[in-house]
Amino acid sequence: MKKILLSVLLSVPLWVLGQGFQVNLQGQKQIGMAGAGSALPLDEASVFYNPGAVTFLEKNSISAGVNPLLFKSAFKQSGSNITEDVKNKIAPPFEFYAVWGPKSNKWKLGLGVYTPFGGLVDWGDNWSGKYALTSLNLKAIYFQPTLSIKITDRIGIGAGFVYNHGDVNLQRALPVNFPDGRSGHVTLDGTGTGYGWNAGLYIKTLSNISFAIVHKSKVITKLDGGSAEFDVPNSLRTSFPAGNTFNAELPLPSTTTLGVGIPLSKSTTLAFDASWVQWHIYQDLSFDYATNTSALADTKSARNYRDGSSFKLGVNHQASDKLALRAGIGYAFSPVQDGYVTPEAPDADRYILSAGVGYAPTSHFEVNASFFFEDVKSRKQKNLETGLDGTFKTLVYAPGLSLTYKW
Amino acid sequence: MVREITMKKYILNSIVAATILFAASCKPEIETPAGTTAGNANFSKYIAVGNSLTSGFADGGLYLEGQQVAYPNLIAAKMATVGGGAFTSPFFTEAQSNGSGYLKLSALVNGSPTLTNVTDKLAYRDAAMHLAKYTGELQNLGIPGMRVDLAFAAPYGAANPYMERLLTDSQVGTVSYFQFIQGRNHTFFSLWLGNNDALGWATNGGVTTDATNVLTDKSTFALLYSNLVNALTAGGQKGVVGTIPDVTAIPYFNTVTVAALLNAAKAINPAAAAIYIQTSTGAPRIATAEDLIRLPFQSSGLFGVPNALGYPYGLDPRNPIANNWVLDKDEIVKVKDFVNSYNSSIKSLATSKGLAIADTYTYLNQVKAGIAIQGVNINSAFITGGAFSLDGVHLTPRGNAVIGNVFIDAINSTYVSTIPTIDISQYRGVKFPN
Repeated sequence: MKKILLSVLLSVPLWVLGQGFQVNLQGQKQIGMAGAGSALPLDEASVFYNPGAVTFLEKNSISAGVNPLLFKSAFKQSGSNITEDVKNKIAPPFEFYAVWGPKSNKWKLGLGVYTPFGGLVDWGDNWSGKYALTSLNLKAIYFQPTLSIKITDRIGIGAGFVYNHGDVNLQRALPVNFPDGRSGHVTLDGTGTGYGWNAGLYIKTLSNISFAIVHKSKVITKLDGGSAEFDVPNSLRTSFPAGNTFNAELPLPSTTTLGVGIPLSKSTTLAFDASWVQWHIYQDLSFDYATNTSALADTKSARNYRDGSSFKLGVNHQASDKLALRAGIGYAFSPVQDGYVTPEAPDADRYILSAGVGYAPTSHFEVNASFFFEDVKSRKQKNLETGLDGTFKTLVYAPGLSLTYKW
Repeated sequence: MVREITMKKYILNSIVAATILFAASCKPEIETPAGTTAGNANFSKYIAVGNSLTSGFADGGLYLEGQQVAYPNLIAAKMATVGGGAFTSPFFTEAQSNGSGYLKLSALVNGSPTLTNVTDKLAYRDAAMHLAKYTGELQNLGIPGMRVDLAFAAPYGAANPYMERLLTDSQVGTVSYFQFIQGRNHTFFSLWLGNNDALGWATNGGVTTDATNVLTDKSTFALLYSNLVNALTAGGQKGVVGTIPDVTAIPYFNTVTVAALLNAAKAINPAAAAIYIQTSTGAPRIATAEDLIRLPFQSSGLFGVPNALGYPYGLDPRNPIANNWVLDKDEIVKVKDFVNSYNSSIKSLATSKGLAIADTYTYLNQVKAGIAIQGVNINSAFITGGAFSLDGVHLTPRGNAVIGNVFIDAINSTYVSTIPTIDISQYRGVKFPN
């Protein structure tokens, strides 16, 4: 007599991106300096930080590094006395670089493979916000072939083409119950690709103070034919058909960075980077399901991100020929406005602290280590769409290590 | 070379140290006052006075799973962190866990629900449908069917099987609910009573046939309610009262709509033009969207069945839907007026006594429109809304958790206490067949 409409069950959107998904771990030296260093031709990681500085690298080199990242987020519902923590899972941001050019020539080629965006958050299947999200595993791997050219002895430009391979696995509970009382569950899993570019200008003034302007373009990553798997009671199977797929778009924002490098002494250099992350492109998130039913409509949810920004100050001290010490501090402003904070990206303004050490046993070989810490401010929020109401607090720990061979 | 080895060791050790540091580290901390104080209330012995909602009645029956998640039980569990004591309820035994029996959703056929009765593990002790007696300490005093007026009628204790099971043989028929709830040495109480004083009449289509479907007189309600409040606060105890929800906020009156009936009729006979109802006054008339039809009508088997003269039921003025199936628009105006009057009595009494007020009237009107709380959308739609059980009147476990928080918020704001809120995500909506 009366058709049951279940559309309400799925009217809640499925994911968002935040500053929390921007992973600022692309080179051990720069990480040790809080992520500053676009105006310093420190090493092959300049492929990412400033393609314009790559041509000023003295040697050809190849390097690989990893920064096991622990994203420790906690949530306490408003009025509750229970703090819930994400599970300890280690995300593996990594970076690989190669830089090559004929010695004393005006150009260099570079290749970077790195992970500028990602997220690994697992709140468990039975936490209090499970109907908003249970887990997210997002990886964006950028491949960036790059050309860097010296225009003068003091000015370099460079640009790279970016190909992104993105993986997303997002899960949440559905508020429909099986006969044993447990909740339904949805898993969205997809792979996508996107394209962009990264270009930079490096200027070293006569006073040896250096400047950088770098722009990394947005990368709209299209997920086509991802699997949408609904674990629901069989009586609801017609509403949530098996083998369904979805299309979605992942708008990874552009970033513009202005950098300054200041040599304080022969052995000590300061680096300052100000970055503007143009998150405003993330206005809404849409899911287009291949099969729609009365319960499963396509969704379009407002995100209304504003632009984010960060300010980072780092210092590199060459203690000896072989040993370098680094430290940095920074501060980042969240792009997530009040009412849009979610457990996928429990984002807020954050402090950054870092330290690093580099050691070069020979002129060909170098090992660099870093430790990166972010204190994301406590933020009490009620999400406008899901009603999830509580306080998030996040700490991020990422030690890192890279090996470099130079010739 | 020695120095290099030392340096490598140093780097390695640093990394190991750092790893240990953060593995053990510094979990993020969130400080809140929840669960730290009873404020100026004393929760050491809480009693809950009320009707079916208080007892945990759900899906058309009283059964153990529902009893365990009745909103007072959920509140009491949270009071434990701020000095609350044990909370005893007249639970059915595991062997008789299905209590009175209840409705379950056994199938969805093209989106239409099939409801069936659960008939095993019942708690009836005789053929007259008396329930197994419960003896012992009691703090959840909710009695399905209890009304403010009948709380003062001792014979009702014999007529109501849910009350009869809690009384000793000598008390049956001689002790009123008003007497039953007293002398329990409580330090705190909740009182959510009066729903049935309006709902009994409304769920019988605005027709009075016996004492359970009378619309209680407004001034009688105010007088008797004040007697209840006076008795419960006789020792200076603090407490919380609940307002009475708008009867039209429940799925019982919003599922079988006139439009749905007409569509169903048109599917069989495209010529069907209108639904006809008999109201309490005047001749049968065409039903409008303002007339509400009771939920059980959809399984009554009456609709469209021709009478002796061949006129299909509900589709012809000569065979209208009977008065008792319909809460027509005039009856709605009347019952709303009574509920508003009851609520103003409740609120002014509570205010004069300094009691907390859980305004479930306002809250359930918000639920009717649909709200999103803690990631779940809840509304008053039948089955899918998540808050109301299969009888369309009583709450699901999720609904109990939500209402429990309305009470907790009211208590906390009145008594400056910090009873932690209930995690609604741990409580289910309707169970769907697998």
